[in-house]
Amino acid sequence: MAQVQLQGIVKAYGALQVVHAIDLDIADGEFVVLVGPSGCGKSTTLRMIAGLEDISGGMLRIGDRVVNDLPPRDRNISMVFQNYALYPHMTVRENLGFSLKIAKRAEAEIAKAVTEAAEILSLTPLLERKPGQLSGGQRQRVAMGRAIVRHPDVFLFDEPLSNLDAKLRTQMRVEIKKLHQRLGTTIVYVTHDQVEAMTLADRIVIMRDGRIEQIGTPLEVFETPVNTFVATFIGSPPMNLLEGRITDGTVELADGTRLPIPPGHGAAEGRAVTFGVRADNIMPVGHALPPTAHMADVEMEVQLSEPLGTETLLFAMLAGTEVQAKMLNPRPVRLGERLRFQISLDKCHLFDAETGAALRV
Amino acid sequence: MASNAEHRLRKRLLRIAHLTGLFLAMSLICLPGLWIVLNSFRPTVEIMAKPPVWIPNSLNLDHYRAMFGGVGEGGVPVLTYFRNSLIISVTSTLVALLVGMAGGYAFARYRFKGKAALFVGLMATRAVPGVALSLPLFIIMARAGIIDTHFGLILTYVALNVPFTVWLIDGFFRQVPRELAEAAEIDGCTRWQAFWKVEFPVARAGIASAGIFAFLTSWNEYALASQLTRSVNSKTMPVGLLDFTSQFTLNWGGMCALAVLMIIPALVLTFLVQKHLIAGLTFGGVKG
Amino acid sequence: MSRLKLPPWLVLLLPAIIILMAVVLVPLVLSFYSSFTAYQLTRPDSLTKWIGTFNYRKAAGDANFWWAFGRTVLLLTIALNLEMLLGLGLAVMVSKVTTGQRLLRTAMMFPMMFSPVLVGFQFKFIFNDNVGLVNNALQSLGLTDVAIPWLVDGHLAMFSIIFAEIWTSTSVFAILILAGLYAIPQDPVEAAKVDGCTPWQSFRFVTLPFLMPFIYIAMAIRSLDVARAYDIVQIMTNGGPARRTELLWTLIGRTAYVDARMGYANAMGYIAILLSIFFTIYFFRKLTAARSELGMGV
Ligand SMILES: Nc1ncnc2c1ncn2[C@@H]1O[C@H](COP(=O)(O)OP(=O)(O)OP(=O)(O)O)[C@@H](O)[C@H]1O
Ligand SMILES: [Mg+2]
Repeated sequence: MAQVQLQGIVKAYGALQVVHAIDLDIADGEFVVLVGPSGCGKSTTLRMIAGLEDISGGMLRIGDRVVNDLPPRDRNISMVFQNYALYPHMTVRENLGFSLKIAKRAEAEIAKAVTEAAEILSLTPLLERKPGQLSGGQRQRVAMGRAIVRHPDVFLFDEPLSNLDAKLRTQMRVEIKKLHQRLGTTIVYVTHDQVEAMTLADRIVIMRDGRIEQIGTPLEVFETPVNTFVATFIGSPPMNLLEGRITDGTVELADGTRLPIPPGHGAAEGRAVTFGVRADNIMPVGHALPPTAHMADVEMEVQLSEPLGTETLLFAMLAGTEVQAKMLNPRPVRLGERLRFQISLDKCHLFDAETGAALRV
Repeated sequence: MASNAEHRLRKRLLRIAHLTGLFLAMSLICLPGLWIVLNSFRPTVEIMAKPPVWIPNSLNLDHYRAMFGGVGEGGVPVLTYFRNSLIISVTSTLVALLVGMAGGYAFARYRFKGKAALFVGLMATRAVPGVALSLPLFIIMARAGIIDTHFGLILTYVALNVPFTVWLIDGFFRQVPRELAEAAEIDGCTRWQAFWKVEFPVARAGIASAGIFAFLTSWNEYALASQLTRSVNSKTMPVGLLDFTSQFTLNWGGMCALAVLMIIPALVLTFLVQKHLIAGLTFGGVKG
Repeated sequence: MSRLKLPPWLVLLLPAIIILMAVVLVPLVLSFYSSFTAYQLTRPDSLTKWIGTFNYRKAAGDANFWWAFGRTVLLLTIALNLEMLLGLGLAVMVSKVTTGQRLLRTAMMFPMMFSPVLVGFQFKFIFNDNVGLVNNALQSLGLTDVAIPWLVDGHLAMFSIIFAEIWTSTSVFAILILAGLYAIPQDPVEAAKVDGCTPWQSFRFVTLPFLMPFIYIAMAIRSLDVARAYDIVQIMTNGGPARRTELLWTLIGRTAYVDARMGYANAMGYIAILLSIFFTIYFFRKLTAARSELGMGV
């Protein structure tokens, strides 16, 4: 087991730089999830840690060794690929035992490790099959089994669940979480899916265009996003952002509506700002919004409602922007009905309109 | 109702036309070869009979006996030719496969400048007609003293086959996901091990079919062999066919027997690989 | 480790490049050189006798050469086009069969296994005016009672050669087009049917465009090996009667090995090589274009 340390890691393809000097410290046994939009450099970063891509600059440590120029086999890592990359010409048993066989371990030891891994992942009845005869979920488990037999220092996962259907994905997510708790190995996990990120991670790393935007625990990135990008990327539905300007110590929106500055935030008079509020924190009056120290209220015209079962999502217009709000005690809403909404100010955010950075004091 | 019946009639007519066309085409394709096989079992008098004998009166193995006995008309050393053909074809195929595997792998796995041009360049060498190549090759090989040796012909056939094996094997390696080799590297393989333990076995069937394709080319080649071989030292079967001809006569029966001997290995091998062969060419070509 | 390090792709390609240089490129350079000399096989010292572009000028003024050149281009044009059409027809017919396809497919590839020289002999035998299969059959059926001089009459000989050439090579087209037919996604074909296309229209506007890359692959493969017609012609007629079936390749072979005038043969050889390479590159380009049109390329 080991910590992983990235110091100013750069990746360039010729003149094109796709990862810009990222710093990241991953503690021993930590579960770190990299998220970000497509093409932001998650896979590239992961593959540099694996040794599958050359590192163009910076320093990479695994444990206490610098591994920049070590080939993958000398890094003692294992990786689960998006398409699993199972060896099609080998049985499940051979797939699982392959790395140990390459390392010239004794037959008995290999057999034992394979049995154990198969046990953990309930693969025992499938051991003699070839990958072609397995279902998607089973293949996925074999890929994980292949990763765990060698007791690596670090597990790397590149969107391992993205090829599974929704139900199986939830199931496997739980499996992975259990696996981590059981083995305690350091894990770096790449995903698109923010639910995966929130549920699995000890810490989340949010990337954009080859840079790290924020690193923090799931709660941190959810509750105190450093900028509008993180704010809209994490959380579903995405945080509502309202453009405005600081006037008389309040945020004045385009239509003249005034909202108080959220506690803990501050900005100079006249500055262009963005007011952020999540759907969970804006509800029609009388809809069980948990009371907080500071509240505000606005009136909005409801355009559409989407019942989701336990709650209902409301789409309303405020100062020319569509705002999503929630309603916990469903009731019929007429199109175009004007309702008063309550806002929990303590859960709201203020960002600089230009840079998008949070304006916390 | 009427139009429905009409359609049914049309369908039936189309079906009849289809089957007739297929039958005719297949006859055209198969008859010449079958005729050769038939004639290899018929006595020369019957082959030459006028008016023709359509229903064979007697079938025998005389031509084969004469051929293998090496005593028949002309006493063609068929077994020696067979051995030459076999040695030359097998060796050149193996070498061409190794070279083709290296080259195909490079094309399938690496990006570099001028890749497309290099590829077409390699292919273009194959387009050089055998006769045109045989002249200068003859001069050089005569200088090097490798005319009429196995080595000379093997070298030539390797060069002849490399473009195709590169093309085919490139196509097969493209079908093997890159991640397999990466997974193997992470599992502790060197690149070399990753190739031999994972990528090679996965592409094996395709590589074998490229090999058979190369084998057939060498096995059947004539234009170069006819100039670069001189004697029983290195003459191959296609060249040996000409031993059955003399200034004014042709020993059809004997020739047919040798032809059958040439076709059988080719037939068996082609049957074995037909599926992979097509897949390789089309994958390499279409997804290039 | 500061040795000179070649990129890995180059190392991997090196054996192929070296062998092709040694066996193809170097000889071609030599033949290019000798095409400017009066080289005669029987007199090695003539290799140094520089005569400039004399051989080329001679070829340019040689009617026999131009006839052979024209005939070669004609043969290739007729043969390649017919092979393509027949191969397409054959492939479509085979693809529509429901039972016994494997057998048909193998039978279809039958001619590919024949050495071209064997094909030459086979058709020399079949078209023999005395004991050949064709004449025997025609006479037995009472369609004619004279022996048709298939290989003796100039026009008939050319026909016989084209027949033999098409017999051997149609299967290359058929088998690759068949592969294309198998690979066609069914959705667009079905969509076309629903949209009211007749079978012919859906073939013309959906299937055929999809088949084009496969057709060009077949063309490219064939153009790499067009000279195999040399073997066939050499055996069947050896350019005769009276040069009526002389192709570039047979002319070159005769000039070099019978007349022993290597320099002149090499000059003509060069022209033949350029012709082949032109065909090859042409079809490779077509292939690339067809590929990108269908969005298959990378
Ligand atoms: N070989 C290459 N040459 C040039 N650019 C490349 C190369 N490989 C990747 N890139 C670029 O690097 C960037 C990062 O790619 P990467 O695969 O890391 O993205 P990602 O975050 O994993 O995206 P996704 O979520 O879609 O998997 C992309 O913009 C991509 O276009
Ligand atoms: Mg990725």
